[in-house]
Amino acid sequence: MSERNWNTDIIGFILPALIFITWYLVTLEGKVPGYLIPSPVNLVRVAVDFATGYANLTPYGGTLPAHALASVQRVALGFGLAAAFGLPLGFLTGRINLAKSSLDPTVHLIRIIPGIGWLPIAMVWFGVGETTTLFLVALAAFFPIYVNAAQGASSVSPLLIRAGRMLGASRLTLFTTVIIPAAMPSTVAGLRLGLGISWAYLVLGELTGVTYGLGAVMMDARMLGHVEMILVPMIFIGLLGRVSDMLLVGSFKRLDMFREESKQ
Amino acid sequence: MRSMHDAKLLADSISKSYSRPGEKNFLKVLDDIRFHIRESEFVSILGPSGCGKSTLLNILAGFETADCGDVACCGEPVKGPSPERAVVFQSPVLFPWLDVKDNILYGLKLKKEDRKESEDLASVYIKAVALDGFEEYFPSQLSGGMQQRAALARALVLRPKVLLMDEPFASLDAQTRYSMQQLLLSLHGKYRHTMVFITHDVEEALLMSDRICIMSKRPGRIVEEIDVPFERPRSLSLTSTQEFSILKTKIIASLMG
Repeated sequence: MSERNWNTDIIGFILPALIFITWYLVTLEGKVPGYLIPSPVNLVRVAVDFATGYANLTPYGGTLPAHALASVQRVALGFGLAAAFGLPLGFLTGRINLAKSSLDPTVHLIRIIPGIGWLPIAMVWFGVGETTTLFLVALAAFFPIYVNAAQGASSVSPLLIRAGRMLGASRLTLFTTVIIPAAMPSTVAGLRLGLGISWAYLVLGELTGVTYGLGAVMMDARMLGHVEMILVPMIFIGLLGRVSDMLLVGSFKRLDMFREESKQ
Repeated sequence: MRSMHDAKLLADSISKSYSRPGEKNFLKVLDDIRFHIRESEFVSILGPSGCGKSTLLNILAGFETADCGDVACCGEPVKGPSPERAVVFQSPVLFPWLDVKDNILYGLKLKKEDRKESEDLASVYIKAVALDGFEEYFPSQLSGGMQQRAALARALVLRPKVLLMDEPFASLDAQTRYSMQQLLLSLHGKYRHTMVFITHDVEEALLMSDRICIMSKRPGRIVEEIDVPFERPRSLSLTSTQEFSILKTKIIASLMG
């Protein structure tokens, strides 16, 4: 059993290893010019320099913390806004018919328009940069959060609701003690989707013109011809996206653990 | 004399119909159901599947409303579900995100009773259903019988005026069912709860109840009420006595109509 898992793990590494070796070889031989694809060694050096500024290999040496902080703040704020609206509205439409019939059609109508399609009008409304980015992130992340919270709340087993009611739950306590906990798996899935989309729209917003942010570095580096500094922020965005997802999942696990501990 | 006032739970001419999709006429499920249940009495409602006995229980619990007729608990009209009429469902319906102890404390917390007292009360009933040592287990970690025992404790801990049970042992295997029947018999002996017990199992009804209301096929009507004469405390060996068999035959005849 464990041996089999080990084998499949190995198989999963073959393709990335081949790609890496090929990448290394083509850049080593100089078959592909460095201004199109930098060598992995060079990329790692620039990445470390971006983080620490040890050799100032590029004009961006040592600026990672400032750019990453700007990006993380935008994601946190945009995602926070999306969750602040998406969760309560989702739970309400999932349970209350009046809320569903008055809100749901409009939300789904707006949802049909791809998020990217909002970019030009957002630039007209909010100008290039900060607010536009926030608007795009919040708007795009709202939909999966809302839809999944609603789906989770509406599919709570009617028997659980009956159990709650006969044990003395009022309409409000039923919401907080039965419906929301029962809707949690779907809700967390929605939050994770929303967080992933937040990072995607963050990059879109930052590409359009902010001073600080990983997306801004990529666009700036493209104009200045630093191809490594286009790729390096991509890697850090991927890492930050993964870390933020782990933190999100972890905090819900922690919540469960806290619940388990609190009863002693 | 039986009067309205000493009835713990009273059902007065309850009728219920459902509209069927695509059909004009209504499906009559319950027809003029009337009975009353006295303090500490264990009454079974026995009927074939589809006779509307679960609908009846839902009406008694306040989950559904009757088209006409009234339900009263201790003289108060029933308007909706309440911990006064706690329910044990056919499936355990525990909250999967709470462990055994928190499931059992759930109703007490809503009553805003003193935390210490609640905890003590919970542990009494956890012990009563033999789940001590499993307080920290989540429902998914328990067997079906243990889950149903937790559901029983969750209802009993609220000290309901009437305990409503909707075929609570129907989905358990035979052995677990016997031990659950034993457990319920001893709990009833100890706490003397007023019980309404829905079942389609003649032996189970005879073994557990003081009185059996036999329901007809749809539309459900109470066709006969039988007083069960056996002494308490009872045990499973009762089912092999001759009196038991005679009564059982009589009830089966009545069920077949």
